[in-house]
Amino acid sequence: MNHLIILPVAIYLGAGFLIPLIARKDEVLAGIAGVLFTFLVFITSLFLSIDVFTNGRIVYFAGGWEKPLGIALMLDPLSCLFLLMTNTITFIIMLYSTVYMKKFTGVPYFYTLFMIMLAGMNGILISMDIFNIYVFFEVASIASFTLVAFGLKAEELEASVKYTVMSIIASTMITFAIALIYGLTGTLNISAFMSSSAGLSPVHLWFIAGLLLSGFALKTALVPFHSWLPDAHSMAPAPISAILSGMFIKVVGLYVLIRITTNIFITLPQIRIVLLLFGVFSMLFGGLMAYGQKNIKRLYAYSTISQIGYCAIGLGIGGYLGYLGVLMHFIAHGFSKALLFLNIGAVEYMTGTTEADQLKGLNDRMPVTTLFGSTGMLGIAGVPPMGNFWSKLIIIIAAIQAGYPGIAVLCIIVAVITLGYFLKLQRTVYYSRAEESVKAEAPKMLLLPMGILAVLVFISGILLIPGIRQHSLDKAVSVMENFSYTDIKTGDLQ
Amino acid sequence: MIIYILVALMFFTGLYGIIAKKNIIKIIVGVNIVGYVTSLLFVLFGYKWDGIAPILTQDMNYSQFVERAVDPLPQALVLTSIVIDLAFVAFLAALAIRIFERYGTFDIDKIRRLKG
Amino acid sequence: MENKGMSEIVKGIARIVFPFIVLYSISLILYGHITPGGGFAGGVVLTGGFVLLLLAFGKEYVFHFFPLEIAKSLDSTGALGFLAIALMGLLGGAFFYNLLPKGTLFNLWSAGTIMLSNIMIGLKVSAGLFVAIVILSMARLIRTKEGLRYKQSGKEEDQ
Repeated sequence: MNHLIILPVAIYLGAGFLIPLIARKDEVLAGIAGVLFTFLVFITSLFLSIDVFTNGRIVYFAGGWEKPLGIALMLDPLSCLFLLMTNTITFIIMLYSTVYMKKFTGVPYFYTLFMIMLAGMNGILISMDIFNIYVFFEVASIASFTLVAFGLKAEELEASVKYTVMSIIASTMITFAIALIYGLTGTLNISAFMSSSAGLSPVHLWFIAGLLLSGFALKTALVPFHSWLPDAHSMAPAPISAILSGMFIKVVGLYVLIRITTNIFITLPQIRIVLLLFGVFSMLFGGLMAYGQKNIKRLYAYSTISQIGYCAIGLGIGGYLGYLGVLMHFIAHGFSKALLFLNIGAVEYMTGTTEADQLKGLNDRMPVTTLFGSTGMLGIAGVPPMGNFWSKLIIIIAAIQAGYPGIAVLCIIVAVITLGYFLKLQRTVYYSRAEESVKAEAPKMLLLPMGILAVLVFISGILLIPGIRQHSLDKAVSVMENFSYTDIKTGDLQ
Repeated sequence: MIIYILVALMFFTGLYGIIAKKNIIKIIVGVNIVGYVTSLLFVLFGYKWDGIAPILTQDMNYSQFVERAVDPLPQALVLTSIVIDLAFVAFLAALAIRIFERYGTFDIDKIRRLKG
Repeated sequence: MENKGMSEIVKGIARIVFPFIVLYSISLILYGHITPGGGFAGGVVLTGGFVLLLLAFGKEYVFHFFPLEIAKSLDSTGALGFLAIALMGLLGGAFFYNLLPKGTLFNLWSAGTIMLSNIMIGLKVSAGLFVAIVILSMARLIRTKEGLRYKQSGKEEDQ
């Protein structure tokens, strides 16, 4: 058994409780500890992904208790892809936040909560039964409520209350679904649930699927359940917004939705149609609402809603191309949205505001920041050769091939709309005539992570070159297409 | 059967508190009630009529225990769920204190500076 | 005036009852693998005992014996101890493996590492809830010229 699998969660939990013990008053030591621990987990996830992508799935029984008594941890190519992405982006954002958080008070507690949130996110990716997913999901959610309200200004607290109460409703629905699964089948283990779900009446199965779907769709911010996202992501501190928009809604929401539709409820194809509808509405709503926003972070938050709609459409279409589009889009959007939020954070660090009316002509004094910001904006809008272009193209081709030409046309229209508002933003904020509010270039430690992310946005398209794609993305897609948890029952353990 | 109707009634009371009330403290009470109801439903699914508590004592043999005892698995899961709900309520209470400090009121109609 | 605590009758009874509360919570924690209870329930009862002291005697008296900084350190120590027990199981083959000898059934010294885990969790829960309750109750409403506002001794984060 590969013991490395427990290390991400164990290191982050240990870090989360070590930092208040040794560095409660000392910001610099807490920052160094944060960077060190995220770097350790990044190296661990590199080793784990090399193992998983060459040897196949890792299954690990905690405590040595075999099935059906034990709790199993599993890492297959799909979750390993998410794990690698999460830890990469986390390390880059941690480098950024050592300098950015100087403007806040109580900084060691920021690192503590950040580590606990990351422990929760990594835990979702390695767990295999649904109650384990629920517990880690709650740990990550509670840490994120606290981090959204970290600056303790009035608007941040209000945004956090809205986010908290809506998220509590989502976890109530999920708990209800878990209770129903237990009450109707007598087991929580997903493989046993799958095999005995043939005996359940369709009404029960659809009710459970509906509860699970609405609970996790609220965390993914698909359109009827999106109203917490503009407030929460615009009012959080910039590194938290980057991690929330870039990775959190994907790991906590999209990853579990992928598991539900492709691995658990494979007998219910109607879930795909529901996801397709949600995706179309999200795309249109996010794109259109982003035009009227004056606060730049709020504009980026609506853009996130729109791009997650693309992922939901890809998931709803299904098939090889649809799933490939979802994974590619999630990677490309993670990098570029994190870059955009770090960028606006650097602007806010130097000028103190994020309103589009008050920021003009940033190109004159902050040329490097402008360059990275433009890269991010062109990236999200889907300009070749960046990764988003290829992923949107794959989703559009998948829509046409599956027989939904209307959706393909809508995707193209929304891509043009996205390009529109980003170009407008670039013209008014970056490349206009400067006023006195801009003082100097951002510090180097804020520019370095943005530079790394910009390079990653550019080269994320190489994952689609057939040689590299076979070893990484294709394996993840095949997990989505033909995996079912009943495979584990016969036990191909390692 | 009537137990489940009562559980549903309690759930809708809590849900009414979250959705329809304007005071943040009442919303927090609603969250609390809904948390308790889901834990209660979980434990109720493991109940056997005329069952005994799942504690093994020294003068009981195993087969008799397995037949008569209430299911202990939901009770273990409910422990976790109660702790999670405790964390929710503690955090919302701390938020409510600080919101009163900034806005001067608990009325959610007036705590609305973010628009659009 | 409020910081001096309550009347003499309440103080006297609190002095008598507090050791019994501590004893009961320790019994809940230590016998957690045989009878119902365990780390979490024992920790909550211990916090109840500390809150009784807070209410009866006032903040300064309790902080003289149990400062907030020590409570925060105990909190982190409990969690790290639990993680150490889990990692120690790696020596036996898997994460969380039950390593220590398991004696005969129904004894106190049986079931391996479960008793140690209960102690760590009891420590963490009691210290953590104590810190949370103290911070939530440290806000006092004072009357200033603009109306009511909160005064807090020490800027703490809502953790």
